[in-house]
Amino acid sequence: MRIVTYLISLIVCLVAVQANAKRPYPVRPITNTVVWSAGGGTDSINRMLMAEMAKELDVRVNVVNKTGGVAGSIGMNSILRKRPDGYNLVGISSSNLVAAVNGGWQQRFDVWSPFIVGSSPDVVSVPFDSPYQTLDELIKAAKSKDIKAAAGGMGGIHHIYLLELEKATGVKFKYIPYPGSAPAQTATITKEVDFVITSMAEQAPLLRGKRLRALAMLHPQSYTLDSVGEIPTAFAAYPSLSARLPLSQAIGFAINSKAPADVKNTLTKAFDKAMHSAKVQEWAKQNHYELSGLSGEKAEQEFARLESIFTWTLDDLGANKISPAKFGIAKP
Amino acid sequence: MIEQFSQFFSILIELVSTPSNLIVLFVASFLGIIFGAMPGLTATLGVALLTALTYGLGADTALLALLGLYVGAIYGGSYPAILINIPGTPAAAATAMDGYPLTQKGLAGKALGLTTTASFIGTIIGLLFLVTLSPLIASLALQFTSWEFFLLALLGIVLSGSLTSPDLVIKGWITGLLGLFLATVGRDALQFFPRYTFEQPQLDGGLEIVPVLIGAFGIPQVIRALTTKNQTTPPAFVGNIMPEFKAIKRNIKHIFRSATIGVGVGAVPGVGEDIAGWVSYSTAKKTSTKAQQAEFGKGSEIAIVSSETANNACVGGALIPLLTLGIPGSPPAAMLLGALLLHGITPGPSIEIDHPNFLLEVTAIMVLASFAMWANGLLMAKQVLKVLQLPTALFIPVVAVLCILGAYALNLNMFSLYLMVPIGIIAFVLGEMKFPISPMVIGLVLGGMADESLRRALLLSEGSFLPIFERPVAVILVIVMTLFILAQFKWFKVLLARLTRLRVRTNSE
Repeated sequence: MRIVTYLISLIVCLVAVQANAKRPYPVRPITNTVVWSAGGGTDSINRMLMAEMAKELDVRVNVVNKTGGVAGSIGMNSILRKRPDGYNLVGISSSNLVAAVNGGWQQRFDVWSPFIVGSSPDVVSVPFDSPYQTLDELIKAAKSKDIKAAAGGMGGIHHIYLLELEKATGVKFKYIPYPGSAPAQTATITKEVDFVITSMAEQAPLLRGKRLRALAMLHPQSYTLDSVGEIPTAFAAYPSLSARLPLSQAIGFAINSKAPADVKNTLTKAFDKAMHSAKVQEWAKQNHYELSGLSGEKAEQEFARLESIFTWTLDDLGANKISPAKFGIAKP
Repeated sequence: MIEQFSQFFSILIELVSTPSNLIVLFVASFLGIIFGAMPGLTATLGVALLTALTYGLGADTALLALLGLYVGAIYGGSYPAILINIPGTPAAAATAMDGYPLTQKGLAGKALGLTTTASFIGTIIGLLFLVTLSPLIASLALQFTSWEFFLLALLGIVLSGSLTSPDLVIKGWITGLLGLFLATVGRDALQFFPRYTFEQPQLDGGLEIVPVLIGAFGIPQVIRALTTKNQTTPPAFVGNIMPEFKAIKRNIKHIFRSATIGVGVGAVPGVGEDIAGWVSYSTAKKTSTKAQQAEFGKGSEIAIVSSETANNACVGGALIPLLTLGIPGSPPAAMLLGALLLHGITPGPSIEIDHPNFLLEVTAIMVLASFAMWANGLLMAKQVLKVLQLPTALFIPVVAVLCILGAYALNLNMFSLYLMVPIGIIAFVLGEMKFPISPMVIGLVLGGMADESLRRALLLSEGSFLPIFERPVAVILVIVMTLFILAQFKWFKVLLARLTRLRVRTNSE
């Protein structure tokens, strides 16, 4: 009996070695560790994309979640410690960029080679029966009284949009922090705050269900949402918004930048194919995402730009622990 | 209405007539019960893991699997709570209070049977609310702003504190406050200011609830079992699993009341099964006779029925804001939201436009899920009871290993273990000094919400507490809490008694 077991394991080993020798990367299942919780935007996008990429790569891609720490630092730290052989990906978004300046880890973001799936444009909305009909009316009102604004977590992407809106319009809002987009939107419906800035992907059901009313897009183009109609862009009235906006949520995944070139090539190929698949295209349309598809050097440049804006904005707010200058991050 | 009913039944029949659906349902429900029963594996984690597996299935089947697991997991938490005094999920903490004494009396079978049926009825009642009253309840849920969230969290801690202490009420509140303190560890949710983190990045995210839960309940149980000589294994397998009709009938009013409470608590966004059990438990105690009250904490039938019915009814409640507003009512419901989005269904106010009859479909699936839970539950309870026949010397080390695995498995983080063991030892010492542990865990669970909501509310009102009195729901919560705290003092009881006597006298004159 024992001999049989030995023989079987020997054969299994031999077959595995053979397979290894014959086929280039990937020969075994790949694990993609999403550093944000299951069910969120980054998680859903990664799960959908990985299912498509798995078809191309011809191996299974397991998606797991490892959350916690500062801006996903626990998950990122653990993946960075693994061998850079391409079998460990990390599901990230631009929200992870502030991990270093908040003391989560000691790395610049260039340790990763990112693949950017896309982003959903930001929109300014008020409770459905709010007295403010246009963005102009809201801005005017803010000149004479306190207007309370919600925009997700402090130093997060939507908060940066709010700060840019203040800069472009010259008014100050009273920013009320919420731990995420969903609670911020709920608080707007209950009228705890006067308006909210979050992404179209997050707001669309509430806009269509007449709980929130969109005033303007913080995006260069207007946006047409079925059963709501066209939402104008704020860029026409306030052109200085375009100085830094739009900022990409840059949802996607990344691989250790030390990974060998052929691994990166294989992944890029699978990524490109998946991005053009009907499934991903359809999903993006349905969920109000704009697809990007950047990878390689271009994606790295985009992340470097976002890193500089995110970290220095946090520094302006005094909401960071360590100065971005310490990591050699240039001012935007 | 009639049209809706016929539609509902046609959906139900369509689902049942596919054999593969039934298999998926029963397997998911079974897995859910296992998830709920294992310390450390929570309903939230179960739904998260299953979401990945159901990616390739159709939306209907996926939903069947996910809801089956969700309902099963909330129920499954009561197994270890009743049998070994370790709640499998925070939701079952209130059940342990009276379930375990029943086991010690050798009535584990009866306790399991009763909670199984009570959970089933609770879920069904929760569903009735979901179908008939969802728009109304959803608008009520929107009455909750930062002030109400703060008060609700505080109420939960006050309630659990006053219910659990064997001798002095104040001891429950002390551990409740200890839990509140533990909740402040980590970056604060509003401004990311590090509190009690001692420059440790691991503490930045705050203390994880699951390792603390396992540490606080599991470790003391293990230590206690290993330090007692002459183990007297409770006489296992006494009592019938099939609940007597009489027992159900006797408790029907508690079942109804608890289900209503469960739905109400579940519908409030962000508050879930954990607190529903406690609120229901305390209401049951308050509305019982003196003789029945004396039974609470010593193995009261009413108590376990109330807490288990409420936490299962909570599932239906939690789905109300999820489906009508797109706001998940509880942590597992948040996970469910992600799963729905993955299948191209966006819950929220526009759901009836995009997916007509979706609400009915969910209800039909929930009905099936609760049937599966009930059937699985009655089948499994008998087998699970055999655990009690194992010698403690074999059983307890296995529990210890499971505790450690459970704490580690959640996010594969060694730090969870460094956290779990000291918490367990502290909990053991506190337990020996007759301090109840549940309020500490509830304090930790709700502390974050209390802290964040209070500070945000004060930010909004610029430091003023007056807005509390401008909001009807907040005022009610304040009154309930004040009465509750006062009711613990002797002088207040005397005063109350005098007042009623005075009233009676003036009336008779």
